[in-house]
Amino acid sequence: MTNMTSKDAILSALQNSAAKVKAMPEINIPVINEPLIPRFEQSLATVTATLIKEDGLNALNQHVAELLAQKNQVMSFVDGVQGNRENPELPHQMQDIDYSVLPGKLGVAENGAIWVELPQAHRVTAFICENLIITLSREKIVANMHQAMKQLDFSQTQFGTFISGPSKTADIEQALVVGAHGACSLRVYLID
Amino acid sequence: MSSAQTKPATHAHKAEIFCRDEQRVNWHSKALWTLREKRDRAASQVPEWETLRKLGSHIKQHSLSHLADYLTEFESNCIANGIQVHWAKDAQEHNQITHNILAKHQVKKLVKSKSMLTEECHLNPYLEQRGIEVIDTDLGERIIQLAGQAPSHIVVPAIHLKKQEVGDLFHEKIGTQAGASDPTYLTRAARAHLREQFLSADAAMTGVNMAIADQGGIIVCTNEGNADMGVNLPSLQLHSMGIDKVIPNMDSAAVLLRTLARNATGQLITTYSSCYKAPKPGGEMHVIIVDNGRSEMLKDKILAKSLKCIRCGGCLNTCPVYRRSGGHSYNYTIPGPIGIAVGAQHDETHSSAWACTLCGSCSFVCPTKVPLDKIIAHQRYLKAQAQTLPYGKRHYMPLVGKLMANKTATNCAMTVARTSLNILPHRLLKPFSGAWGQHRELPQAPKASFDTWFKHNRGQK
Repeated sequence: MTNMTSKDAILSALQNSAAKVKAMPEINIPVINEPLIPRFEQSLATVTATLIKEDGLNALNQHVAELLAQKNQVMSFVDGVQGNRENPELPHQMQDIDYSVLPGKLGVAENGAIWVELPQAHRVTAFICENLIITLSREKIVANMHQAMKQLDFSQTQFGTFISGPSKTADIEQALVVGAHGACSLRVYLID
Repeated sequence: MSSAQTKPATHAHKAEIFCRDEQRVNWHSKALWTLREKRDRAASQVPEWETLRKLGSHIKQHSLSHLADYLTEFESNCIANGIQVHWAKDAQEHNQITHNILAKHQVKKLVKSKSMLTEECHLNPYLEQRGIEVIDTDLGERIIQLAGQAPSHIVVPAIHLKKQEVGDLFHEKIGTQAGASDPTYLTRAARAHLREQFLSADAAMTGVNMAIADQGGIIVCTNEGNADMGVNLPSLQLHSMGIDKVIPNMDSAAVLLRTLARNATGQLITTYSSCYKAPKPGGEMHVIIVDNGRSEMLKDKILAKSLKCIRCGGCLNTCPVYRRSGGHSYNYTIPGPIGIAVGAQHDETHSSAWACTLCGSCSFVCPTKVPLDKIIAHQRYLKAQAQTLPYGKRHYMPLVGKLMANKTATNCAMTVARTSLNILPHRLLKPFSGAWGQHRELPQAPKASFDTWFKHNRGQK
């Protein structure tokens, strides 16, 4: 599998590197002292996502009940929230999912990113749905990306993603269009 | 596109063609300047911005100066995670490895998200000649793929096209309504068209934004979600990365993730920053580590710094020359200041290194402090050393050098120039001012040289 000759050639060429030697810097960015939830909400608004702060799980269940009544296809991986679709054998079978409901592990106030890592689901679950709903414990919001990396344990991670808002593009004349290839909308429910 | 036999035109020549449509140039320049303004707003909202730039610079320089160690660590951690790692010395080997993997799995259709490395390696034609259909899935990349063009920008590849042109193209290629040019309508049409491609692909390929040595995993950033849609449907996934992409750990990634999108488009972060650390259950994950000239660049202390680049495109957006000459003028896959820094050695017209005023704006916006203007000046020096200066410069630059090395000669020449500017009609002098004078009035000459002025006004104190 590994082509030893090319690996050796590259590594030996690197012995002649003239790149100026630099020690690894200490990363020590002070956290800005401000309330986290308002900042998180502001960041989510910037990336065109909606934050539901109050009565999280009840509000979510009410919303899901409405979605089901409108005959949407809903798949939930959040405890206490029941959709109408089961996790299929093949990821392709999720192509008609209208809403995925997923638990987020950690939110980042400075940019609205939420770390989603769900080994029991197909990896495409967060991307293939038309709309995405994420739940997040209000205790699990940190100020910035440095804090996020400190809090998360990647040792068992196989796949995970920071999601900040719905998918978007500005590839045609710089006009922002929400809804490119991933979800077209994102709602975040804070739970206790 | 120039044919294989003829030498490509110089940057100045291609820029001159681009500039014939003045309205279009102004539109192009303004679109890019808007990105620069968004970047400024995003940067100004982060109080520790300059600290992040410094950290980003140090992290990348540290990684580059310990590259063999980090690549080895990255590889062994990848293997422990069940990822198959391949090494490619050059573009040809990269393409062969990719094709071998795809052929082994009888792949007919490959979906690919944005990767400047695969553009650099000309992977698409290589695979297409071997019967594999390659679908670029980033909207901008899909647009230029359907148009048969190369990207003109590393972050917004179709920035040179107007929505009406995209509308006409989509009408012809994917059946949108004739004359429709609404970006939302066209984007929705592309979403539907590409969804079919995602669902029917046999394999997916992406570039790599960051390779994390101590994790044995990679981070891929997109706004559209096309990388993740592609990678997570078929069982086979491939990721190509230059050797310069490896960084020590997730703490390093945090620094770069904070500046990458803010500096590129003024966003807080890309919509998706995904970390792939293992194949999906029952699937295969391959990472191809590519050199293709990078270890050679590392042998030059100054060129080495260009490999700190994280490909945000910020230097393109701010560059007065790029904005007014377009991405297709540079004779290299990557245009703009960073394109000159990493690609001038591939420009057989030896002109792109002069597509720069050395104003330094690029260096000041760079999130990893790549000294782009210094590298570009160095590229000129290398051209002179290799005796590949463009035609005119080869002859007059040595004379200019001699003249300017001699103080008396220089002072005499400047006196002649000042006197001529003041007493001769500018019509007579303009031919001597070269391309610069074609669209400009000649300057008013001061009465005396700075040297004289200084002696007179400050010399005694």
